[in-house]
Amino acid sequence: MRRNLTKRMAALPLLAVAALVLAGCGDSVNDAASETATTDETTASETATEEAAETIACGDVVIAMHGWVGYTASAQVVSEVAKNALGCNVEQTQLEEAGVTYDAMEAGSIDVIVEDWGGGRWQEWVDRGAIQEVGPNGNIGLIGMYVPQWMADENPDILDGTKLNDYADLFKTPETGDKGAWYEGPPGYTTIGEKIIEAYGLNYKVVSTGSEAALIELFTQATENKTAALGYFYEPQNFLAQVPLARVNFPASDWTAPEDASGLTDYPESPLIKLATAELMASGSPFATLLTNFSWTNADQNAVAADIEGGMTPEEAAQKWIDANTETVNGWLAGTGASIS
Amino acid sequence: MKVWVDTHVPEFFRRKWVLVVGLLIVWFVIGRIFRGVHTLDLPNAQDTPTTAFLGDMAANIRAARAENPIFVYVFNPFRQGIESFIEVIRLTISEPASGGVIPLIGWFGVVALIGFIVFATSNWRTSLLSMVLILGCGILGMWTYSMDTLALTLGAVILSLAIALPIGIWAGLNDKVMAAVRPILDLAQITPTLVYLAPLALVFLIGVAAATIATMIYSIPIGIRITAHAIRSLHNGPIEAAESMGSTRWQKLTKVQLPMAKRTIILGVNQTTLAALSFVVIAALIGAPGLGEPIVRALSIRSIGDGVTAGIAVVLLAVILDRATTAAVVKSNQIPLTGQPLMIRRIGLIAAGIATIVAIMVSRQQLWAAVFPDALNFNDAIGGGADSFTEWFTTTFYFFTTTFNETFTIYILNPIEYLLADSPWYLTVIMISVLAAIIGGRTVAILSAVLLLLIVWIGLWNDTMITLTQVLMATAVVMLIGVVLGVAAGRSEKVERALKPFLDAGQTLPAFVYLVPVLALFGPTRFAAIVCGVFYAAPVVVRIVADGVRGVPKEMVEAAIASGSSTTQVVTKVQLPASKKSLLLGANQGLIFVLAVVVIGGLVGAGGLGYLVLQGASKPELQGKGLAAGLAIVLLGIVMDRIAHSSAKRS
Repeated sequence: MRRNLTKRMAALPLLAVAALVLAGCGDSVNDAASETATTDETTASETATEEAAETIACGDVVIAMHGWVGYTASAQVVSEVAKNALGCNVEQTQLEEAGVTYDAMEAGSIDVIVEDWGGGRWQEWVDRGAIQEVGPNGNIGLIGMYVPQWMADENPDILDGTKLNDYADLFKTPETGDKGAWYEGPPGYTTIGEKIIEAYGLNYKVVSTGSEAALIELFTQATENKTAALGYFYEPQNFLAQVPLARVNFPASDWTAPEDASGLTDYPESPLIKLATAELMASGSPFATLLTNFSWTNADQNAVAADIEGGMTPEEAAQKWIDANTETVNGWLAGTGASIS
Repeated sequence: MKVWVDTHVPEFFRRKWVLVVGLLIVWFVIGRIFRGVHTLDLPNAQDTPTTAFLGDMAANIRAARAENPIFVYVFNPFRQGIESFIEVIRLTISEPASGGVIPLIGWFGVVALIGFIVFATSNWRTSLLSMVLILGCGILGMWTYSMDTLALTLGAVILSLAIALPIGIWAGLNDKVMAAVRPILDLAQITPTLVYLAPLALVFLIGVAAATIATMIYSIPIGIRITAHAIRSLHNGPIEAAESMGSTRWQKLTKVQLPMAKRTIILGVNQTTLAALSFVVIAALIGAPGLGEPIVRALSIRSIGDGVTAGIAVVLLAVILDRATTAAVVKSNQIPLTGQPLMIRRIGLIAAGIATIVAIMVSRQQLWAAVFPDALNFNDAIGGGADSFTEWFTTTFYFFTTTFNETFTIYILNPIEYLLADSPWYLTVIMISVLAAIIGGRTVAILSAVLLLLIVWIGLWNDTMITLTQVLMATAVVMLIGVVLGVAAGRSEKVERALKPFLDAGQTLPAFVYLVPVLALFGPTRFAAIVCGVFYAAPVVVRIVADGVRGVPKEMVEAAIASGSSTTQVVTKVQLPASKKSLLLGANQGLIFVLAVVVIGGLVGAGGLGYLVLQGASKPELQGKGLAAGLAIVLLGIVMDRIAHSSAKRS
């Protein structure tokens, strides 16, 4: 038995040594790939301006992926441009938003967030020199409480948030007993539902939904089956174009950070922000330039998101938009020396 | 009983179940009268002094990460060391080096290498199975994700075993060491995976290293426990013989104890590996690359197909790792080969080795062998199939699933949640403690009261009771299933054989995998979390109960049949009472397994403590509350474990 074991053990290092020897000899698929990459770069630099010759190679970029379709649209378009025009090696990592991702950026495992709703939660990481604000991405975010359109048609009053108590009975569910159900956003999202309920003495109970998917499911079923639903939603989101929802309004907003919200006022419109590690921004990588220039509208994002929801892969949807908007994309590439046609 | 009930009280009122039922009625009535009074319900965004304190602490740790010497000289280098180690494995099988398209070894080489390693450590049948299953991961369209998960799991297992085996052996030999590590092992067994994530992320940040360290901390105690058990449960005979022949302690250990304990130790390797795999999947929440990613995405964006295919890939990996290690156990039990069979095996090994080297070479040079070919990738078909099945199932059975869900919620779940969470907190604390006294005795009652008061002090009482409700509900269902199927399996070998594949699969499946289909079927509700808990815990309980029923002496059963008992009578009057201990053990395990999953239910809208943990990870301003919620989960786990444990002991 021991002899047998020794024999077996001996085979493993043998194999390992053989593998290492093999690893040493070149001529792998990777070499072929890097050769093509080099030729690509040469052609690119031929067409580029003088400064381009001095630019630093893009290298590896890790983009955080968050759990809503609009984010996927933005991140994928940036990824495709970075890959195809700048030759970046783009990796995407799925993570919850805000704190978790900021920590990942501090650890160096994530480089970029293309759409952050966190309203300044990152300040502490900026102060520590881990993260840098890269400015707004052009999208304007608006959170709110919504009901399916049919409810608004039947009860116009329902869109006045202060009168929600008149309709609490409609929204009763087994989950909430004798109160109306107030479906709130997932754990990471900016939410002030409890404050609003308290400030107006609303007869509602907050139900946590856990995900964007759950909210979409909620409104889809409420619209199809004509059932009642009051839930958290937001723009930009192409779903609003597919399933008509109506926004329940509260008096205009007076806050920016969720901690300061009184609950008496509504969610404010807020520009969505790009964030990157300070290291990336200081590296002079052409990706930093692309990220700084990247900006598009809610309609742009919705168009790409709609294609993804319609069954295209994110790559296809992003490429379709890029092909249709070369001028905009070339604007983002200004200063990198690269361009697309 | 004597402690609590005066001997003057008539016999009837001294029965345990009468006391329990009476207590529940009293609780229900008082709770109804004072419903909503002093429930300690805390608004989501509000802190308590304790959670605020933990929040400040977390902020201080975050601030210290860049400069504090402990971080600069200990934690950060440690993190980077682990990261480099895992990176080496990833660069070999999963992640292309910068600028490349494939890792060091392409998919074809990886398949061959896995086949060879399993062949060398066990046998050709398992080897073939492993190769087919790993190919399955590629066919599912999950090749790279699977390789990442495999790389992380292997890395974490190697590091875990390097720590667990020596400590386990030491604890096996030395009583003092055992006494020192036992409380830690007990605590680790109760603590749900989710709880490990936040505090570790605070120190080791987010990414590969944090995920690996968290996985190690989860799997090391399992390795230590089984290794120590392996050494401790050896027969004394051969050891004494070695002693009498004048062996040194080292000789005794290496020549007698370790070889004898080898079988159980390999079982420990098996359990450590499976634990690591299941943790690596959920560690996607703190940035572990791999199969957890599509699962997390499926839970947040509507991509059930990807979540399901990733889930199946996890199952395939689990089966490979389980089979390979179990086959090694079987092999270590066999009589060693000699003569011709040994020659054949040696030749086979050499041939397989050469074939593997060739395969690795080919996988580095030929594109078809390097990158998993699209022609073999059936992700769209399988994922699309899962999507349309879910669509069909939910629309067809919408009425059924919703009605079932709503009925259960209104008539069972809500009343119990009212009882636990909407009664005044002191009423609930008193009632649980009295119940603990009836079931488990005075010591447990005092322990429960103290720990529950601790939860009240932390300030998360109401959320804890919401979680407890779900855990109790799920455990009740699990016990029902466990008793029915367990008795059936215990009585009939046919039933047992039919159930075995399901139980095996159920026990190797990481909890995380259940969430996607259940969310798809039942939507974001507490009910969904309960269903996940039931699926996850039922196999273990069925096994334990079946074991207990099978262990009932044959003579007892035969005597009952001879005296004319019907099958029902045999089951209820003989087999169940005689396997009471197994039932209670099953309940204990069921509770702990259910707790682990129910808190993950925070991801699918179940609220409670799990939601707070997840929220704390995203919202820095509520991180203290998240950490406090983790603490409350552990305290709740200890309370339930101790009550169930003591009742099993008393029986």
